[in-house]
Amino acid sequence: MEGKEENASAEAAPLKLLGSWASSYTHRVQLALRLKGLEFEYAEEDLANKSDELLRLNPVYKKVPVLVHGGRALPESVIILQYLDDAWPERRPLLPADAFDRALARFWCHFADDKLGPAVGAVFTSTGEEQEAAVRQVHENLALVEAELREGAFKGRRFFGGDEVGLLDVVLGCGSYWLAVFEEVTGVRLVDADAFPLFHAWLRDFEALDEVRETIPAVDRLLEYARGVRHMLLGLAGAGGAGGAGADAPSSTAADAPTASPPPAAATATAADIAVDI
Amino acid sequence: MAGEKKGLVLLDYWVSPFGQRCRIGLAEKGLEYEYSEQELLGDRSELLLRSNPVHKAVPVLLHDGRPVCESLLILHYLDEAFPNSPPLLPADPYARAQARFWAAYSDKVYEVGTRLWKLRGEEQARARDDMVEVLGNLDGELGDKAFFAGEAFGFVDLAVAPFTPWLPSYGRYGGFSVEREWPRLAAWARRCAGRESVAKSLQPPEKVDEYINVLKKHCGIND
Repeated sequence: MEGKEENASAEAAPLKLLGSWASSYTHRVQLALRLKGLEFEYAEEDLANKSDELLRLNPVYKKVPVLVHGGRALPESVIILQYLDDAWPERRPLLPADAFDRALARFWCHFADDKLGPAVGAVFTSTGEEQEAAVRQVHENLALVEAELREGAFKGRRFFGGDEVGLLDVVLGCGSYWLAVFEEVTGVRLVDADAFPLFHAWLRDFEALDEVRETIPAVDRLLEYARGVRHMLLGLAGAGGAGGAGADAPSSTAADAPTASPPPAAATATAADIAVDI
Repeated sequence: MAGEKKGLVLLDYWVSPFGQRCRIGLAEKGLEYEYSEQELLGDRSELLLRSNPVHKAVPVLLHDGRPVCESLLILHYLDEAFPNSPPLLPADPYARAQARFWAAYSDKVYEVGTRLWKLRGEEQARARDDMVEVLGNLDGELGDKAFFAGEAFGFVDLAVAPFTPWLPSYGRYGGFSVEREWPRLAAWARRCAGRESVAKSLQPPEKVDEYINVLKKHCGIND
């Protein structure tokens, strides 16, 4: 009885999300909160000038998103999503019930963050032969996901979570919108509907959902942002100063990674903030 | 399917700290399993390639033939598939989030440690700085507690313990002494080594150091 009351008051404690408008890691948490019907306060962080609050709440990574619940801080998007399931088990679970299915969902979330994301980021931050190699890597990674949709773990499903979106949809989906943006900005083909028909169809269905449309920024804003970053990167590369902005970024589920040499004039977050951000 | 074994099989490698996490977890939960040593420096087995086609890495847990990959995911799976055995993760949602955070963070000990013995010059110096930061953060999280989880051995302790036999080697390559810089962490390592599940799973530091030399040769490093 006492435990239940404690739980109820803990659940009722306010939620605050520190995030960044262009961060797909932030979008994951916003989407999850909306799917679960949880009210939250949102605080936009200027990643080029991080607040004392953010640095205090996430001293290890100093990144967004951070969810604050009843005064306690939760960093790392995939950890936050699982926390939401643990703390609100009765509200639209993100993870499936079966232990093996849960392991699969988590495995592919890691794949999205450790392999696919960095590969897409590498396409965006490179040119020429280096970019061609990065594109091949993206295609190899997408082929693995496509295979799981076609004949593997997610065969026959509309979403990775089944009939409804789940953890992997949120993780992979919030970030996959960068694919079309990067294609537009770099002129490189990343998600061919013929080569990856199931992934393409899934993304289209995901992006059509109300909660997703509420969460993902307008494509014009994303394009403008991406063009600006790419322009800056290529300008730096021309001057010989860019230095692998996305290359040595540590793999992590949070938004921004330290770059080799951010230009002093940059008012917005640097390339690696979105380069590793899918 | 032909050849699929019932029960638990762990595809592993003798000195893999990630595999050792699983061995400790299985021991803590009192679960019977078959240990299957894999070839990693030579050709990988058909079974391993079939079980983990994406990463071709150990550890992989097979449960009635179905593969679960990645050490921390395996530990989660053991808790969820065997709910009547002692839990590895805490029950409280916030404690679970913290446990997940620090267990995942501790992977950096191995990532950075590998850069430390592999690289030279400026790159090695950067790896050293990163290692000092990682160990400092872990030491800070441990604080004055007996274990990361508090008074009793828990999930983060299980996740970090397998890296402890690598620390003397990392210290040598990085020019630091864990004992001197982070005495609380050193004491914690000794405390964990006394635990049966850990003692049975870990290799002694001398063997680990020998193995690093094998890896160096394998990579063509000759110093």
